[in-house]
Amino acid sequence: MQFLRTFTRDKIGSFFAMVLLALIVVAITAQWITPRDPFAVSLRETMQPPSWSHWFGTDQFGRDVLSRVILATQVTTKIALSSILFAVILGVPLGMISAYRGGIVDSICMRITDIMLIFPIILVAIVIVVVAGPSENGVILALGLSQLPQFVRIARGVTLAAKEELYVEAAIAAGAGWRRILWRHIWPNISTPVIVQATLTLPVFVLNTAALSYLGLGVQPPTPEWGQMLNEAKEVLTSAPYLIIGPSVALFLFVLSANLVGDTLQEAMNPKLKARTPGSAPSTDPVIDQARTNG
Amino acid sequence: MPALLRLIVGRLCFIVLAGFLLLSFLFALFHMIPGDPAVLLAGDSATKEVVDSIRAAYGFDRPLHVQYVSYMSHVLVGDFGVSNYTRQPVLGIVLPRVLNTAQLATLAMLLAASISLVLGSLSAMFWGHPLDRVVTLSSLVGICTPVFVTGIAGIYLFGVWLEWLPIAGMGSWWNYILPVVTLGTYQAAIFTRMVRSCMIDALSKEFIVTARAKGVRERRIVYLHAMRNALLPIITLFGLGFGHTLGGSVVVESIFNWPGLGRLMVESVLTRDLPVIQAAIFFFAIIFITLNMLVDIIYTWADPRIRY
Repeated sequence: MQFLRTFTRDKIGSFFAMVLLALIVVAITAQWITPRDPFAVSLRETMQPPSWSHWFGTDQFGRDVLSRVILATQVTTKIALSSILFAVILGVPLGMISAYRGGIVDSICMRITDIMLIFPIILVAIVIVVVAGPSENGVILALGLSQLPQFVRIARGVTLAAKEELYVEAAIAAGAGWRRILWRHIWPNISTPVIVQATLTLPVFVLNTAALSYLGLGVQPPTPEWGQMLNEAKEVLTSAPYLIIGPSVALFLFVLSANLVGDTLQEAMNPKLKARTPGSAPSTDPVIDQARTNG
Repeated sequence: MPALLRLIVGRLCFIVLAGFLLLSFLFALFHMIPGDPAVLLAGDSATKEVVDSIRAAYGFDRPLHVQYVSYMSHVLVGDFGVSNYTRQPVLGIVLPRVLNTAQLATLAMLLAASISLVLGSLSAMFWGHPLDRVVTLSSLVGICTPVFVTGIAGIYLFGVWLEWLPIAGMGSWWNYILPVVTLGTYQAAIFTRMVRSCMIDALSKEFIVTARAKGVRERRIVYLHAMRNALLPIITLFGLGFGHTLGGSVVVESIFNWPGLGRLMVESVLTRDLPVIQAAIFFFAIIFITLNMLVDIIYTWADPRIRY
């Protein structure tokens, strides 16, 4: 409850939390709310400009772009959430065990994450796509693996700190096994930073899903995805420039709201960071503030 | 031996080791891919004899460790094999691409660094004021607009509608404008946000208060006192940011048909040209490792307190 109160104090954050929620509702109900069949090809009405019957126009195959954008919301959300789930389910236990066990296991784990963090997501993704082939599952695997180190590190950091706490020592003294200690005593500390990190990762995953699909390495046609739709729209840019509007707006809105919700969440959970994030209120100390601008 | 030299030698050894491990990793990974490479090369309609002869000619029938040793020893003398499609030596395909990508990424990086240093420090100087709001808002919008949206919009605006700029390839200097600006502004949006928070950190230190009390002029405080202190995190930021710029170049090269390493990588993945993929990924990764090494070295050089 305290958390909700802090969160809703940020007006911009709450507004975009609603937008994000609305987009997720659209994603869940996509099959039922598309005004037309997103796959129905109609060669008689190709590349029509936006109108009342086709809000975002129709593409070069005469498919309704609005319906495709709506279905793409579902495809993208599914991919982004699955990749986050993948990274969390694999990364968090790995980080916890690595920290709890320590020693050589920990060193090896950390060196591997160090190396993985050097490379950008797109390079990791390309390697995965070569092996798994361009597909939705390939994207999930690629994105999940590329952000795995982040979750390993967070879980490890929190576990290292919690390990020193008295209640963990007490649990060890009481004869609890390491599984029980990790699950009952250490996991509750980890859930908050992991949720924040997951929210911050969401826009990154959405952007990269779109980028990979734009390159032809992600979601394959005819399944719609924003990046892949933009790639198709680019081919007919001279005759139908309005086709880029729908997917661009949807992508922008999703990434923007996810970013802002992530920032607000981080602030609500960790108020010390407030000054570091944009969009937040300016300094509360008028003296310092005044001094800053006296030039 | 001085510490800095020792660091450089150590990191160079690390690069060689990393390169070796990377190639071995890629070799192992790409030999686990389902599907017979000989069938892939011969095509679907090839007879069994043709497939067998290709298998023998390429050495796919030899045991894996023999193939591995042979591949690695060829790489050692700069022979990465030939492309499955063009039949040209892979090294000859990849190297010019590396230079083209380096040009694009370096120019974009310079643009991004100058924009973000100016806007980021201005924003920190005017913390909480309308100028700061405008800068933070535009950097947020920039972060949320991927390069393929701005790139396509740029192509339409300046290439199709106004007909001012060429939209593909790299013939003249005019060709550089759209790709460099597209990539540069996106990175600038990310950097501005971070330069701003580094500068805000530096401006809230106590020696700034002292400088102000002494009556030092504000511009001197920001650009001399605060900037020097924010320099270390900014160096790290730009070093790692160069890596991100290279990652972004993969998409930008595809949008503008820029003959760079990123587009080569994507194309060879789509055509499953394994020798080219292997070399392209190898060079791309080595560039990243080298960049990281440079950041470490500059960092040590800039801050004598750090010793490895």
